[in-house]
Amino acid sequence: MALTRRGFVRTAGIGVSGVLTSSWIGARGREHSVWSAFEPTLSAVEPGQIVLASNENPLGPGRTVMAAVQAAFGEGGRRPGRYSGSSRELIEAIAAKQKVKPENVVLGCGSTQILRSATHLFTAKDKPLVGTMPTYEECAGYAEMMGHPVRPVALDAEFKLDLNRLADAAKGAGLVFYCNPNNPTATYVGARATREFLAQVARESPETTILIDEAYFDYVTDADHDTHIPVAVDNPRVIVARTFSKAYGMAGLRMGYAVGHPETIKKMAEWDGGSGTSSLNVLALHAGIAAIQQDASYTAAERARNKEVRDFTMKWFGDRGMKPTDAQANFLFVNIGRPAKEFRDACRAKGVLVARDFPPFEKTHCRLSFGTMEEMKKAVAVFDHVLGRKSTAAA
Amino acid sequence: MAVSRRGFLHLAAPPSSSAVLLAARGLEAHLAEAQRSGGARTLVPPGVDEIRISSNENPLGPGKVVLDAIVGKFPEAGRYPFNSTPNEAALTTAIASKFKVKPENIVLGAGSQELLKNAVRAFTNPSRGLVTAAPSFENCPGTARKLGHPVAEVPVDGALRIDLDPMIAAAKGAGLVFFNNPNNPTATVLGAKAVADFVSRVRKLSPDTVILIDEAYHDYVTDPSYQTAVPLALDTPNVFVTRTLSKAYGMAGMRIGYAIGRAETMKPLATLKMPYNVSVFGIVAAITALGDPKHIEAERARNTEVRAFTIKALNDLGCRSSESQANFLFTDIRRPAKEFREACAKQGVMVGRDFPPFEKTHVRISIGTIEEMRKATAVFRSVLRTETSPPVDKKPGAQHEEAAWR
Repeated sequence: MALTRRGFVRTAGIGVSGVLTSSWIGARGREHSVWSAFEPTLSAVEPGQIVLASNENPLGPGRTVMAAVQAAFGEGGRRPGRYSGSSRELIEAIAAKQKVKPENVVLGCGSTQILRSATHLFTAKDKPLVGTMPTYEECAGYAEMMGHPVRPVALDAEFKLDLNRLADAAKGAGLVFYCNPNNPTATYVGARATREFLAQVARESPETTILIDEAYFDYVTDADHDTHIPVAVDNPRVIVARTFSKAYGMAGLRMGYAVGHPETIKKMAEWDGGSGTSSLNVLALHAGIAAIQQDASYTAAERARNKEVRDFTMKWFGDRGMKPTDAQANFLFVNIGRPAKEFRDACRAKGVLVARDFPPFEKTHCRLSFGTMEEMKKAVAVFDHVLGRKSTAAA
Repeated sequence: MAVSRRGFLHLAAPPSSSAVLLAARGLEAHLAEAQRSGGARTLVPPGVDEIRISSNENPLGPGKVVLDAIVGKFPEAGRYPFNSTPNEAALTTAIASKFKVKPENIVLGAGSQELLKNAVRAFTNPSRGLVTAAPSFENCPGTARKLGHPVAEVPVDGALRIDLDPMIAAAKGAGLVFFNNPNNPTATVLGAKAVADFVSRVRKLSPDTVILIDEAYHDYVTDPSYQTAVPLALDTPNVFVTRTLSKAYGMAGMRIGYAIGRAETMKPLATLKMPYNVSVFGIVAAITALGDPKHIEAERARNTEVRAFTIKALNDLGCRSSESQANFLFTDIRRPAKEFREACAKQGVMVGRDFPPFEKTHVRISIGTIEEMRKATAVFRSVLRTETSPPVDKKPGAQHEEAAWR
């Protein structure tokens, strides 16, 4: 039994099982789940499979970072035996890179810990979480576990965040989860529109916190692209989450961070901040320092590599009458005209792994991540074979 | 893959001068770091070699076999821990096999600290609090206080062991009992019979109370009366054991721990578990280490020898230690720990933090390598011979201590 993300939400419900006397977890059962993106436990990756399921960077972090990991073994290979004191150094390196102060930064075991802390602190039984349908499920899963209400908001016709609907839903809410580019739909809302949205929520619902998840920031090629870190450092009600798991290729190492106003960051750090004696491993800390100190050409090269593969894959689907959404990330979301599960199972049988279900689009759409160009050329041959066959259960 | 394993093996070893300065660690450093209030750390003067015997770490690290296994997985650094080979489920299975249980009996933690925190979150509330020995490891009471849940602290007995009768009395109606065996910082252990008796009496008096038996230092115990409580936990509702790879396994920096117990007891911890809390490298390191029990036996033997040396050296200085069954000592130095700690730090030796109510008399000293402990005990000799303040007679814990040392 792997306790995957899906398993995590699926096991919620202990609050009603009667086993516990705890009031801390106010979990509701799975049947009440809004973002019910559950699927059977993810099975192990087999050697030789092409993994297009998890929005990873297929190249990993690169030599500079891996050299830092090896250096983190320390003299005689002894340093992994020590609690690491290097989280302060990583915080300072991130602060330097993002042109903020160390007190604007808190680290997490992946952005997962950041998303959980924010949901814990800023939602309550009378302060709902707002998120689009679909989006990344961590905040919703955590809110549901706590018994805090969630307000789902539909996307617009282009599968983008619908800012009018979001602003309406934000009124009186505790936290808005604003994933941009949005996972799984890959669409991006321009910097100007986002800034206006932040200002509107600040006016209309000043007690509402907005968590902007910029996990895929480095993959965006839209002309109107910018980070919202400058807003976050000034406004205690705006937080930006970042991760080393995507363009930096460090999903296996577990490192993410939040940037925000010192008061907000302090709250998050005090509730559940990552450090070398709690959730952060020494190899990830050293890898993070090396990664963030790389020249900007590192992310530029990864963005360009991804774009080339993205253009190739988008065109392949477009040429076959399956138009993906406007992908601004390292994955795409495409209408394949049949259930994702059917497509996924057929692709798996041919050695290609694509993503889980994303309700309410699980009957028609599939998310697939970009591998290397070589992998995508092999993958589209599999897609050709699978999609060329008549669906047995077309919607 | 952009980087082959082979490529890495060719990398030159980095100069050690690039190593990050490792300041005094432990919970206080963690809190300081978390709160950005940094400044109060004790630091070794520039140019003085540091001997870090402050955090109960294995001074040798995880060993070459484990490090080689990590290097072997460098090509999978970009994969999430559920996509790597081996994946997170394989680690859970490896731990389950070690204890001949099912994966549903195991929950992984980012160190055992995540499990301790989540146990407090899951099993205590404003009306059903936490019971802990005092002094003991501070994670659980710290978490309970943060949540505003009550904490009952039961002083250790005259021999600095967990005092069972008052612990049992305090457990009535409690949400969670934290039972650290061996107990950090006092280093004492309770035998299998005493633990089983304790559990049975708490169960009778307060069946809904959950008992967390933290066996972080399990692998260092040499007392034959001690046995792990894992079989007891698997047989008994509301009882579970935590273990960590931070101590004998030499992986404090890797952040890997686990809880083991009956499936229904584990369920709340499984629910609260942070997804992907163990890294791809932590997974392969742990699986490799769990497959090499001889390495742990050797580490226990090494620690036992250095522990005996250090206890004797301190005894020769007139400083008695409690009966240590761990990789650290709790020693009566007859002066405030802070004073001793700062004097030692000036000579490069970092010892443990304050442990109230014994901070005026006792210090916790972790066991380093024999070379480190030879140097450290020489420093202790010079510091303890320099009487910086008169020995304290009347202080908290004095009564216990007298009873213990008679």
